Parts: sequence; structure tokens; C-alpha cells
Amino acid sequence: MSYLFIILYAITLIYFALSERVKKFVWLLSIQGFILFGVVFFNLNKIEIFDFIFILVETILVKAIIVPWFLNRVRKHNHLSREHEPSIPVFYSIIVVVISLIISFILSNYLNNNHIHTKYFTVAFASILFGMYFIIIHKNIFSHVVGYLIIENGIFLMSLAVGSTMPMMVNLAILLDVLMGVLVLGIFINHIGDTFKSIEIDQLSKLKD
Amino acid sequence: MFLGFIILSIIISLVIFLAKNNLVTKFLSSLFLLSLLAIIAYAYTNIEQINSIYYKFDNLGLLMAFILGILSLATFYHSKLYLNRHQFNNKQQAIYYTSLIMLITSMMSAYFAENIAVLWVSIEATTLFVSILIFHERTKDALEAAWKYLFVSSVGVALAFIGILFLSITASNNGITDLSLSHLLKISQVMSPIWLKMAFLLVLTGFSAKMGIFPLHTVAVDAHTVAPPPISAFISTTLMNVGFLGIFRIFSIISQTEVLHWAQNVLLIVGVLSVFMSAIQLLKIKHYKRMFAFSSLEHMGIVALGLGIGGIGYYAAILHIVFHSFVKAGLFYQIGQVHQFYKSYWIKDVSGYFKRNPIGGLAMILGIISILAIPPSGLFISEFLIFKAMFMAKHYYIGIFVLILLTVIVYSFSKNAFHLLYDEEKIAETEIVKANPYETISQFVLFGLVIYLGINPPIFFINLINSAVAILN
Repeated sequence: MSYLFIILYAITLIYFALSERVKKFVWLLSIQGFILFGVVFFNLNKIEIFDFIFILVETILVKAIIVPWFLNRVRKHNHLSREHEPSIPVFYSIIVVVISLIISFILSNYLNNNHIHTKYFTVAFASILFGMYFIIIHKNIFSHVVGYLIIENGIFLMSLAVGSTMPMMVNLAILLDVLMGVLVLGIFINHIGDTFKSIEIDQLSKLKD
Repeated sequence: MFLGFIILSIIISLVIFLAKNNLVTKFLSSLFLLSLLAIIAYAYTNIEQINSIYYKFDNLGLLMAFILGILSLATFYHSKLYLNRHQFNNKQQAIYYTSLIMLITSMMSAYFAENIAVLWVSIEATTLFVSILIFHERTKDALEAAWKYLFVSSVGVALAFIGILFLSITASNNGITDLSLSHLLKISQVMSPIWLKMAFLLVLTGFSAKMGIFPLHTVAVDAHTVAPPPISAFISTTLMNVGFLGIFRIFSIISQTEVLHWAQNVLLIVGVLSVFMSAIQLLKIKHYKRMFAFSSLEHMGIVALGLGIGGIGYYAAILHIVFHSFVKAGLFYQIGQVHQFYKSYWIKDVSGYFKRNPIGGLAMILGIISILAIPPSGLFISEFLIFKAMFMAKHYYIGIFVLILLTVIVYSFSKNAFHLLYDEEKIAETEIVKANPYETISQFVLFGLVIYLGINPPIFFINLINSAVAILN
């Protein structure tokens, strides 16, 4: 079962590389949230029941619903529909996704550590690499936040992979931090959209020597 | 006890935010400052003890908290002056004080965090609150700087989290599942070197945005440029100390292992590159706040060098952090007063300050002498110790190269400083601005403190630093 979710997750990464519409990014993030929920539901039930419920609620409520909903509002506020000119053709992006998957596959096999769930580690690492690539190739700051969230999802998977058991309070604090971060980032996007009439990164180049 | 302090601060800031009333803000801010000083005093009496499960009043944290306590008093005072000068409305003032209180609280939490995950959470929280403060003036530049700071720091801190996860992999191989610092220190010798190296690189890169060193220093520089001066004073000092502490905690684990030598080389490279970048940028600087920001880059680079050398360099690095915090904060408070006269921070607009405001000019001279590490400044002593350690460890080439870079920095810094103080004024005096001489007192106190601590450091201060670095030796 877990392999199904991992493959699905890898497919969302490829879709990210394929799509040019901003709306689709938000959808894909939501789908990733649901996939993470599935991963947790089928694999993590050995941990304490409260921690288990907390992580389930976190994935379904925050990652799959609240964050995408909020991003969608930001998107509508700024009238974003299509990514204007992706600086790199889609074809190359797909190659990059595949390469990042292969690299992480080789790396996690090379590590071959008993304490790491190699299958999660592979896709987590690919997600982090791809998230960074996603930030670099896109020119508007909304997509940058999407890239940041892809990295965050990768980190979530990685923490499952290494089986780190943080205390409940710490987990809650991490979740709150990331959620607050996304909210503040979203508010700043709206401010930038209102002030500069565009959220292209080229607008933000006044501060230099 | 410490958790109580955090909860109290959250309540205070929430009430300030909701009430939006000046009287309430004034009263509750004073209450917060009192509780801050009380918790620092409590920490001093309970030194090296675990508190509220995730916190520990350790020596280094306490030292940083002392700095934060002193600078908080000054920052609240200068924030009041700043807000009055610019006549912000009640709502904006409320947001300002709410974020400031939460920023101080999260910095305190970072200083005393015993669990690395708690440290991470606190550092992420500082990023959020400080970006709201950077945006305070609501200008285009402020928006740009706040966005860059928040976004790059968030990505950086996410990288650092991956580093922490790597650390937890090698820790769980050895049977430690929580990320408590004391547990990690116990098993550090059996940790796998490859994971430690990766963790250190990621944490160093991630927190470099907070500490303001190479490679992610640029966002901190931009943030200084536009933030309100009292906040710039914080970003440049206590917040950089937070980043330093984050790196130091991981470094202290590594210092027990065979990876130490490798990590020190990484720190040397980062330190030299930071000083180098700073020297290059200062040559073509056009803005006074950016000038001070790049000077922070230089000093943090020197701190990284101190850690990279080891031996007496550890002691000197901590000493340098303390002195730099006081001096740089004083300079930022003073530049806020300069702005009152010229309404600008651009070098071309500001000249002849000494004539306009002799007392402020005197504070400026004292600050510039101190920051350039010219005796009697305490920074001279810490830099001298670092170079001594460098030559004793036979890093001759690095030592000479950094000394040349420092000469360049002293040249460009003093050129602009003399312009600020003594050059002919270019713009006609349109309005007479009277500066209150009492506003300068805090700067004199800070600069005087650095001279005093440099020449005649009290025993408890030396003991604090020595026990803070004892973990490394």
C-alpha cells in the first residue's frame, strides 16, 4: 500500500513540472496533502495514539485543506491564472524531475541504513531537490511559496523516513510555525501585488548597492 | 518557570494587539521588561539547570540573554522615540510592540532551548516576527526587504531542519531518539562522521541567513537597510547571536568528534569569505545603514574565524560577539538620531553632523572608534586574541590576508564616517531640529561598557565565557 502512495507522490512532482497554470499548483499541493495523509494512516499506526491522531489531523486539515484554500484566496486576490513565461521549457523540467528521482534513489540505496525507511527517503529527497529547482525556474513569488511548500512536504516525508519521534508539543510548535509562515508569506504577496501591481520577482530589485 | 514567562509574554502581546491603546501598551511593555529582567535574574541564580523540560539555563544562553536584556531596555526607549518622531497611529504602534515583544520572547526561547527542535522552532518564530517589524514603515523598499528576509530565511531554516533530521538519523542509530542537546553530547563520539558533516553543512548554510554570514548574508543586509533603526539594532546584534547560537550548538556536538578539524576548516572558509565580501561591498557603499550592515558581516566573519581556529579563539569569538552587540546597537540608535536631522540615510545627503549636534557627533566618533576595533575599544582585545590564536595555530596566510582586508575596511569605513561628521553641509538648513541630549545617554553607556569590559572584565563575566567554551575543549 505504501508503495502506491509513494508512486502517487512522485507523479505529483512530475505534474508540478508539467503544469503552467497557477491554479493547478494549488490543486497539486492539496493532493500531496491527501497522499501524505494516506502515508501516515497506513504506516505510522505503531506510534502512540495521540501523536498518530495529531499527525493525521495535521496532514488532512492543514496540508490538504487550509493551506491550499488560503493560497487559492491569495491567487484570486492577485488575479493569477497562468505562469507567464517559465524561464525553462517544460520538457527540461520533466527531465530534471526524473534526474532528481534517480539521484535520490541511488543515494538512498547507497546509504542503506537500517534506521531509515529507504522508500520514503527517496521520494522525500527528490521532493526537496525539486522544490528548490521549482523556486529557481519560476519568476513570480506565488510560485516561490509553492516551491517552499514542496520542500516542506519533502521534509515531512523525510521526518517519517528517519522515524524521528518528536514530542507532541514540539510537533505542534513546528506545525504552528510553518502555518504562520505561510499565512504571513501570503499576506506579503497580497501587499506586493497591491503595491507593485505585479508579483513578478523582477519588481523586487531596488535594494542593492 | 520559563514556560510561564513565554505564556505571560504571549498574553501581554495579545492584549496590546487587541487593545490598541497607548496607555495599555505603555503599562504592559513595562511589565514585560520587568518580567524579562526577572527571568534573566532567575536564570542566573539557577545556572546550568533544566527548566520547563525543553529549556536549560546554560552559560552561553545566559550571556546572550544578558545582552538581550540590556539592549531590550535601550531598544524599547529608542522605539518610543522613533514612533513619536514618525507619528504612527495607535494600531501601527500596537502591531509594532506586539511583534517586538514576541521577537524578544522567541529570542529568549532560542537562547535557552535545550532541545534542538525547540531551538529550530524559536529561530523560525524570530524570522516571522522580525519580518513584520521590517515591514513597519509600509514602503516599497520595506516590502521588498521583508519579503526577501522572510522567504530566504524560511527556506534557509528549512534546510537547517534537514540538517537536524540528519543529526537525528545518526543519533537514533545510537539509541537516542529525542534531540536533547545533553543526550546528543553524550553520544557524539560514536556518531557517524558522514551524517555529522552533512548536518553541519546544512545547519551552517541555513542559519547563515540569521547570523548574517556568507552565503546567505544578503537578506540580512537588505533587512538592516529599511528596518526602523531600533529594529536594525536588534537584527544586527541579538538576532545574529541567535543564528550564531544555532551554529554553535551543532558545532559543540561536532567538537567532541573527529570531524572537528573538517568543520573548523569550513568555518575558516566561511569567515574569510564573509570578511572578503564585506571589504568589497564597503568600498562602493552609498548608504549609512548598509555600511553598518556590512560591518556586521565583517564582525560575524571574524567570529566564525575565531571558532575555526580553536584554542583561545573560542574565548575570543564569544568575547567578540558580546562587544560587537553593544557597539553595533549603539551605532544604530545613533544613526536613528542622525536621520532626524537629515531625513535620509544616503551618504551623499548626510554631512556636517558634528556641527549640527556636537553631543551626538561625539557618540558617533566613539562608536566608530569602537567598531573599527581601535583601542581602547574592547573589540580591539577580542580581535587581537583571534589574530594571536591564528598566528599561533600557524594560519599565517589567512591571518595576513584577513589583516589586509581589515585595512581596506577601516579605510572605507572611516572615509565615510569623516564625511558624516566633518564635511561641509550640502543642503541648506530648512528647519531647526533640536535633538534631546538625553537620547544619547544610552549610546554612551553602551560604548563605555565595551571599553570597561575590555580593559577590566569582571570575574563573573570571564567565568561565564570560560564555562561557555569549556564544552568545546
